[in-house]
Amino acid sequence: MHMKPSAFSFFFGFFLLIFFSGFSETVDKSTRFSISGKITDKHSGEALVGATIFVKELKTGAVTDVYGNYSLTLTTGKYSLIYSYVGYKTIENSIDLTRDFRINLELEPLLRDLKEVEITSEKNDKNVAKPEMSTFRMDIKTIQRIPALFGEVDVIKAIQMLPGVQSVGEGSSGFSVRGGAPDQNLILLDEATVYNASHLMGFFSVFNNDAIKDVKLYKGDIPANYGGRLSSVLDIRMNEGNSKKFEVNGGIGLIASRLTIEGPILKDRCSFVVSGRRTYADIFLPLSSNKALHNNRLYFYDLNAKINYRINDNNQIFLSGYFGRDVFKNGFASMKWGNETATIRWNHLFTKQLFSNFSLIYSNYLYNLGTPAGNNNSFDWTSNLRDLGVKGDFSYYLNTKNTIRFGASVIYHMFNPGDAKGIGEKTVFTNVKVPNNYGFETGVFGSNEQKIGDHFTVKYGLRLSMFQNTGPGTVFHYDSAYKATDSTVYKAGVLYNTYAGLEPRLGLLYDFNSKHSIKASYARTYQYLQLAQNSTVGTPLDIWFPASPNIKPQIADQVAFGYFRNFRRNTIETSVEGYYKWMQNVVDFKDFADLLLNNKLEGEIRTGKAWSYGVEFLVRLNESKINGWVSYTWSRTFRQIHEINGDNPYPAPYDKPNNVSVVLNYVISKRLTVSANWVYATGAPVTFPTGRAEIGGKIVPIYSDRNQYRYEDYHRLDVSLSFYSKEKPGRKFTWDLNFSVYNAYNRHNTWSINFTQDNVDPNTTYAEKVYLFGIIPSVTFNFHFNND
Amino acid sequence: MTRKIVHILLLALMAAACTEKINVKLDTTYTRLVVDGNIESDTGVYQVALTKSADYFSNVPVPRVVNASVTINDGINTFILRESRKGISGIYETDAGFIGHIGKTYTLHVDLPEAISGKTSVEASSALLQVTHLDSIGADFHPEWGKKGIWTVKLYAQEPGNETNYYLFNFYRNGILMTDTLTKKVVSDDKFYNGSYMNGVDVIYLNNEHKWETISPGDTIMLQMSGITKEYYDFINEVVQSGFNIPFFSGPPANIKGNVSNGGVGFFAAYSNSYAKTVVK
Repeated sequence: MHMKPSAFSFFFGFFLLIFFSGFSETVDKSTRFSISGKITDKHSGEALVGATIFVKELKTGAVTDVYGNYSLTLTTGKYSLIYSYVGYKTIENSIDLTRDFRINLELEPLLRDLKEVEITSEKNDKNVAKPEMSTFRMDIKTIQRIPALFGEVDVIKAIQMLPGVQSVGEGSSGFSVRGGAPDQNLILLDEATVYNASHLMGFFSVFNNDAIKDVKLYKGDIPANYGGRLSSVLDIRMNEGNSKKFEVNGGIGLIASRLTIEGPILKDRCSFVVSGRRTYADIFLPLSSNKALHNNRLYFYDLNAKINYRINDNNQIFLSGYFGRDVFKNGFASMKWGNETATIRWNHLFTKQLFSNFSLIYSNYLYNLGTPAGNNNSFDWTSNLRDLGVKGDFSYYLNTKNTIRFGASVIYHMFNPGDAKGIGEKTVFTNVKVPNNYGFETGVFGSNEQKIGDHFTVKYGLRLSMFQNTGPGTVFHYDSAYKATDSTVYKAGVLYNTYAGLEPRLGLLYDFNSKHSIKASYARTYQYLQLAQNSTVGTPLDIWFPASPNIKPQIADQVAFGYFRNFRRNTIETSVEGYYKWMQNVVDFKDFADLLLNNKLEGEIRTGKAWSYGVEFLVRLNESKINGWVSYTWSRTFRQIHEINGDNPYPAPYDKPNNVSVVLNYVISKRLTVSANWVYATGAPVTFPTGRAEIGGKIVPIYSDRNQYRYEDYHRLDVSLSFYSKEKPGRKFTWDLNFSVYNAYNRHNTWSINFTQDNVDPNTTYAEKVYLFGIIPSVTFNFHFNND
Repeated sequence: MTRKIVHILLLALMAAACTEKINVKLDTTYTRLVVDGNIESDTGVYQVALTKSADYFSNVPVPRVVNASVTINDGINTFILRESRKGISGIYETDAGFIGHIGKTYTLHVDLPEAISGKTSVEASSALLQVTHLDSIGADFHPEWGKKGIWTVKLYAQEPGNETNYYLFNFYRNGILMTDTLTKKVVSDDKFYNGSYMNGVDVIYLNNEHKWETISPGDTIMLQMSGITKEYYDFINEVVQSGFNIPFFSGPPANIKGNVSNGGVGFFAAYSNSYAKTVVK
């Protein structure tokens, strides 16, 4: 536990060593030319992310970036290039490289029945050959096959079934990565931070799968271009829209419907996509036997939109946005919350080897709570967090041995922690406002991915991050008992506090002939924003607050080692990874903390350290008939926080040592697929009463040490069956019908346990388990129309 | 008050959850002395109950601590409390004419006949703070809230602006105390009212679904407003929060903090009162 500083200096030294010796072998003066271009889907024109370009003769290659661009620089010669992407037909090209080439290719998607294809994926050995570990990429098609709660397919729910990722509670959108807290995950939607990914208290995430193309989770080995969170990055990219033809996709489910329209504005150059979703479960509330629910309204809606314009081969502009709201109201009060994000991005290729990407990013999370005007208790309460950011990223494909990336970003955060006031003439409330505060978060990074010899690849990078609190702001000063003594008020524009951190990132790969490999990585990460969330699941009212003179930035160091091996022509990928993570200045809250509308919030915070470790086993299948994954994770995570649990270490709320996920999809025929997933996790740690005291006629519990007990183990099976309409080229209208059952064997998994005093005999106490879902069957109808 | 509204909203969100009684095996813990008592600014007999803690599922009345020697000191005078039924009740009472004075700090001292978790005496102190004058109260019925409507009881009083004040509210229907257990009592700070005239602030919410707690026209209702210390305010809030565990908004369970020394549990409180009455229309 006390190894942090030495581990850090060891890796930092190693990093410097490599950095200064790194470029020596890159100087290669023979004649070299570049092959670059963009790889897209033949039917929709969508860029393909992570498609591979393999040079047969050299047994090396390139991978397309998130915009579908690639670049390869080779010496003069004749080469065979193999372009491939899972689920698409492979293309092989011969080229006589005597000049620079631009090769834009359209790959054709395979029909659902994969039998017609021989899997030519000798090159699809990324799992083994890429110097990247602790990551998991999923395209939306994989996610769409996973059986889901109420039939509503969800990105976050899919992520929660990966090794090393734990759900924070039944049905919740919160997740813990390798023992980290839920607020240690950076969730990006087209580069904009999503501060609250939950709809309907977390039963759904804010990501509408019809609008999403690709999802990548970094559990460790976080590349230097990302920063700001300790534990993970979840990078979600939206569809660009079909640039070839108009398409309408939709779905009608039991509680929500979706509709997506996309198409070209200028064929092959400019496209748009608009996607909307709304739940209507509240429409059925009047039918409920519980009359108290009759005048309740609870729903959410969201809207995704994107415009994509390819000006020419070297310039492309994207505009994308998200808008979502949850609304809950009854006769008494109402509450709404939601995110909005907007991104403007310019992709520019300076040369065939130097690609760039400039973005302007806006994000806003807000909530509002209130009672209708006209009463004595009428009030209105708003809180929000707005971000305005600029970002520039560069990729320089120097040669087949070196890929250099560098860039910078600045985000201006504007916090409005809470502003509550009485409304109307009769109100009795005065105005209570927690002062706004502001901060700049800056990052500058550089990294190189370098091949050394035939088997060894090293990836090294450094990120310099900085957080500056800027005025206007009010800073309270606290004594050793966390009592505010006085405060300092700073004027607008004053930079009154600065934190900076160096974050080295290092990855090593030793590849045994592309069949199996060993990898190791180290990453240091800094986090300057955190969530004031005291409960395990969280509410929409949880606010984000920044590092400040009172709150130091959180720091994590993670090391990971892994063994990777592929089987059966890369259709079976396996890996074992072990990790250890040390976290400093971790945030927790004092007992019975008051986090709502509290201008002395920082006095409620207690900090300390946390550490976690584990081993993750993963088998991922990509056979023609069956695909999915099976994983087992053993992990532990602990915290030691000042003043909490008598300053003694305790299991973190997400410490669930044994974890199994099975996610499988089986293609029975062209028109029928069946999917199932089974999850198992050790019960979450919990604090139970061991004694009772009687005070004021009430039995008051006397508790055990923190998290000394556990709920029962959690396990659940979900199954689904999808039936597809006939698939024929040129068909305008296709549909599928999906039947799914959540919690198929109706296990009453514990959500919480309450200890209650009996109403009739006040001397009697009993334990009562709360569970959220029994067996839940649902049906969803999806349709697809195009004007081919 | 907003905290209450937030809780009502969030509870409504999870109305669909299911519950079932289960068996949980719990460990045992050592015995603590539990102190439960108060004195007020009105003339009267005040009680301090001494009990022992027990295992959580013991399910019988907690053991009483009898034959203790109990005194209260106001900085100058010491008052002796006598056990109501010597050697049996574990309830210690002041003389009939006891009156608490605003501005004084009262210290309870208990000497135990035998040690509890190694300690033979405990102390607990509380300042007796002034409460603002309660001008009047009223009651409103809101038929649109909840299943069968909600009655609210509102108060009128000037909130003093110079410091943070904490209030305890007790409610009487036709002369009977309705807030008869600690978790039914209502506490509030002055966050939303500091220094302003509290012109009809709702303090009591009565669910009209339940006959045993609601009111109807013709009832005489009385509100008791007490000025309490921050420590007592926190204590009552913690007792209320310790009674439920809802993953949406409950923090991790933790032991409540009382003001009893030497490892004792519970609270000895001192407070001043102001009353107002009305007949429900």
